[in-house]
Amino acid sequence: MRYAILLMGAPYSDQASHSALRFARALVARGHRLEAVFFYHDGVYNAARLAAPPQDEPHLVDGWVALHDDHGVALQVCIAAALRRGLMDAREAARHGKEGHSVAEPFELTGVGQLVDLGQRCDRLVTFGP
Amino acid sequence: MKLHIVNRSPASSRVYGQALSAMGPDDRLLLIEDGVQGALPQLVRYYEDIPGRLYALREDLEARGLLGHCDASVQVVDVDGFVQLTEEAEQTLSWY
Repeated sequence: MRYAILLMGAPYSDQASHSALRFARALVARGHRLEAVFFYHDGVYNAARLAAPPQDEPHLVDGWVALHDDHGVALQVCIAAALRRGLMDAREAARHGKEGHSVAEPFELTGVGQLVDLGQRCDRLVTFGP
Repeated sequence: MKLHIVNRSPASSRVYGQALSAMGPDDRLLLIEDGVQGALPQLVRYYEDIPGRLYALREDLEARGLLGHCDASVQVVDVDGFVQLTEEAEQTLSWY
């Protein structure tokens, strides 16, 4: 089946991100196609390029990137939720006159219309809230 | 059949009531994260209206030292079983 995940919890604040990553890995292990993870609300912090958790803790950002690299999962970040939290890619940083950027590929800044699209074209959309 | 997912303990949040009131006669309810506390014998009464349709996630029970302490009426599933529940349901709803 074709799946999408909506993640709205901040990493390391509550369990939502860990739950979503665990579910995502189980999905692909069962042979499902995970089209995308959509990061919304505080979930956008999962895309923070500079995240540096202690080495003996799960690295959520790397976990998402691995899912993308190994299984082609799109990592879509709501641009409106991201910009107001200081999360932006190089293009947006330039547009807003900021020195650095905090989001990098394979995460992509996108609109909430993409979430609607995922809901329509996937068989299942599973939400992980804070 | 829809799958409802609850991540709050009935001891600390009333969201379980919203989930229960939204449930159809065939719907199932899966307890995850702190929600697995609702599978304990002293709290499972909150879910007495959905006999045979209450599930709890094994990994989250284990992380809290609660595996083996669930009420007998609760069906324990691992994350693979979680995926299977979403396969069998036409839709999932998360309550948090």
